[in-house]
Amino acid sequence: MEIALIGNPNTGKTSLFNNLTGSYEYVGNWSGVTVEKKVGVFKNTQGHLIDLPGVYTLNPLSKDEGVVTSFFLTESVDRLLNILDASQLERNLHLTLQLLEFEKPVLIGLNMVDVAKKRGIQINSAKLSAFLGVPVVPVVARNGKGCDKLVDVISTKSMKPVKKNLVYYGKEVEAAIAAISAVIEGKTEHSQRFLAVQYLEGNEYVKNYLHQIADAMKLSSILSNLESELQNRYDCKSLANFIYLKRKETIEKIAAAVAVKTDTVIPLTEKIDSIVTNKYLGIPIFLLLMYLMFMLTFDWLGTPLSDMLDAFLTGPITNLFESALTAIHASAFIHALIIEGLVAGVGGVLVFVPQIFILFFFISLLEDSGYMARVALVMDRIMESVGLNGKAFIPMIIGFGCNVPGIMAARTIETPKERLLTILLTPLMSCSARLPVYALFVGGFFAGHRALVVLSLYVLGIVVALTLAKVFSSTILKAETSLFVIELPPYRLPQFQSLWRSTWDKGKGFIRKAGTFIFAGSVFIWLLSYAGPNGLNVDMDHSFLAAIGGVIAPILAPIGFGTWQAAASLITGFLAKESIISTMNIIYFVPKDSNLQGLLANYYTPLAAYSFMVFILLYIPCLATTATIYKETGSKKWTAFAIGYALVIAYVLAFLIYQGGKLFGLV
Amino acid sequence: MNHSFKAGDKGKIVDLSHVSQLVQRRLLDLGITEGSEVCVKCVMPFGGPIMIESCGQCIGIRRKEAIQMEVVKI
Ligand SMILES: Nc1nc2c(ncn2[C@@H]2O[C@H](COP(=O)(O)OP(=O)(O)OP(=O)(O)O)[C@@H](O)[C@H]2O)c(=O)[nH]1
Ligand SMILES: [Mg+2]
Repeated sequence: MEIALIGNPNTGKTSLFNNLTGSYEYVGNWSGVTVEKKVGVFKNTQGHLIDLPGVYTLNPLSKDEGVVTSFFLTESVDRLLNILDASQLERNLHLTLQLLEFEKPVLIGLNMVDVAKKRGIQINSAKLSAFLGVPVVPVVARNGKGCDKLVDVISTKSMKPVKKNLVYYGKEVEAAIAAISAVIEGKTEHSQRFLAVQYLEGNEYVKNYLHQIADAMKLSSILSNLESELQNRYDCKSLANFIYLKRKETIEKIAAAVAVKTDTVIPLTEKIDSIVTNKYLGIPIFLLLMYLMFMLTFDWLGTPLSDMLDAFLTGPITNLFESALTAIHASAFIHALIIEGLVAGVGGVLVFVPQIFILFFFISLLEDSGYMARVALVMDRIMESVGLNGKAFIPMIIGFGCNVPGIMAARTIETPKERLLTILLTPLMSCSARLPVYALFVGGFFAGHRALVVLSLYVLGIVVALTLAKVFSSTILKAETSLFVIELPPYRLPQFQSLWRSTWDKGKGFIRKAGTFIFAGSVFIWLLSYAGPNGLNVDMDHSFLAAIGGVIAPILAPIGFGTWQAAASLITGFLAKESIISTMNIIYFVPKDSNLQGLLANYYTPLAAYSFMVFILLYIPCLATTATIYKETGSKKWTAFAIGYALVIAYVLAFLIYQGGKLFGLV
Repeated sequence: MNHSFKAGDKGKIVDLSHVSQLVQRRLLDLGITEGSEVCVKCVMPFGGPIMIESCGQCIGIRRKEAIQMEVVKI
């Protein structure tokens, strides 16, 4: 049995999905968190549950909304589970009425009853059920209240809608619906009434579908006749609007009968809003929050924790490996591979787990509290001036965690040009995999100003992205239209448990990557550094790795780090940014009683170190990001462009910083 | 709406036809159309967007679009 979850954005579909399937998909308090179809298996009954992006209607504007409409048209589904936000019943019912026209069994989960209650809205679910002719179950997806009942109803009741044609669209439209139904009769297994109404509303996906299966001329003429008839008779704005108003009439009737409203106090949300979206304080507050986040990650909390972990890994753990290797009389080769290759390479990355978790915790907090949409609002003015809109800032913030979901999040941007621009620029956001490089270098060279130096890099990433946005949007990507309408959800106090889960979910990926990708990479890199043209166990300067790095090193000399070591780690950085650190740990294999940070001072000046960090920040999207750019743009040309411009801008900036710095007498 | 917005301004939308098509469509999705009551909640500086409230939900839109809405005081 296939059951699809469908409802307005931010109504708690994914929360419910997680609850019913025991999985953990991305939840956040803004509209457009889910951008792809996700399939899960029910916990205790059989069948699949399908999570979909949120939509307001089945007539899509943006790509994530299109996912839902094409799902309806091309895939088979047995039942629909429609999630309604009880505190916004009227708006949510527009979608419900369209779903009922689809004539598949529908079950309604009335979610957020807790929020509605706080606002003084009481909904009689039995009455609602009677009106709509389908079962209605009140739930609180967040804590799982009512979910058992929901599962019960899903697996037992038939849910075939009992009443047909809840909305009477007026005699002209009904005649047109009948005419269209006659044309498509027998050519489709979907509900004819549904297709006809969507067609009349101007749904592009349905139009393409119908024009393929039936006589396009006939359909178009029915549509244009109806339009002119309505125009003459009622002087209505558009057919879509006419249909909307008819639905609204029905909804008003239903709402009046099922909802009881009492007056309540001013919600806390508005009080918070008057501060964080304050005229003058909005942007400073955002920067202050970012600064706090960096202080915690790099100074107050993260660094001490990482240092402890480092001491643990290089001390007891390495000793443990050493004694185990001695006990089994491992050969010198195996010994070197494990200690100098794996422990150094993988351990060197794992050390940064505490800092990465702190960063992810903050990002989760941002996502779950409702602040995300406010940041988009606060930033819109700046984004508009560079040819983007405030919504593009959301993918960028998500990109601070990992660029891949950031790029996916760009799907909610409605206009194609702005979306492409966002996809191209999101890789400039400094993702968590770049964080170990900064942590290592600021520790070695800028110990007094860790957080500030790192913050400067993050800000540089944003500034470069905005500058390039301006350049691209006024040259190759001129956009005619821009659209910025954003829903600002009420603040929700994040629950500790869900915060932890989403932090863990993001951090898990980092650990997993260390255990697989970085693990294999470390072995490979170590082998390259162990073997050379003259055999095995060569001096590292004569290894294959040195030979490969040496080819590129001269190009890097003008930007401050023309060593084969730097070049070699940059190459591995394309595979995954963490590899830079694991490679460095292997290359500069550190004798027991000193550390890499101290050792690096022999190879870099502080100025070169900063230039190196800037280069790492910008130089190339990693492999996974490149693949995502290709998937989302569907264009080799734009993917190549994303790599090319990044290399150029990174080189130019690092050059300016290094050579400029030298001019001013910095070292 | 008139050109200077103040937090706390209230009104009823009477005409949206001058607002760009896409924005109209999105507002409609959010349940805002002719006849809806709206209230200005926050105004961003330097000609930035404004935040309006209607039926208990808050929405951010750009100022230049808000100006195109025809609203009567209530
Ligand atoms: N108070 C309360 N909050 C809820 C409830 N259900 C979900 N939430 C919160 O609402 C927010 C949105 O939840 P999601 O599950 O991401 O919503 P969604 O419908 O999947 O959203 P999109 O993917 O953007 O369409 C999260 O912050 C949840 O914690 C509920 O019943 N009560
Ligand atoms: Mg979701």
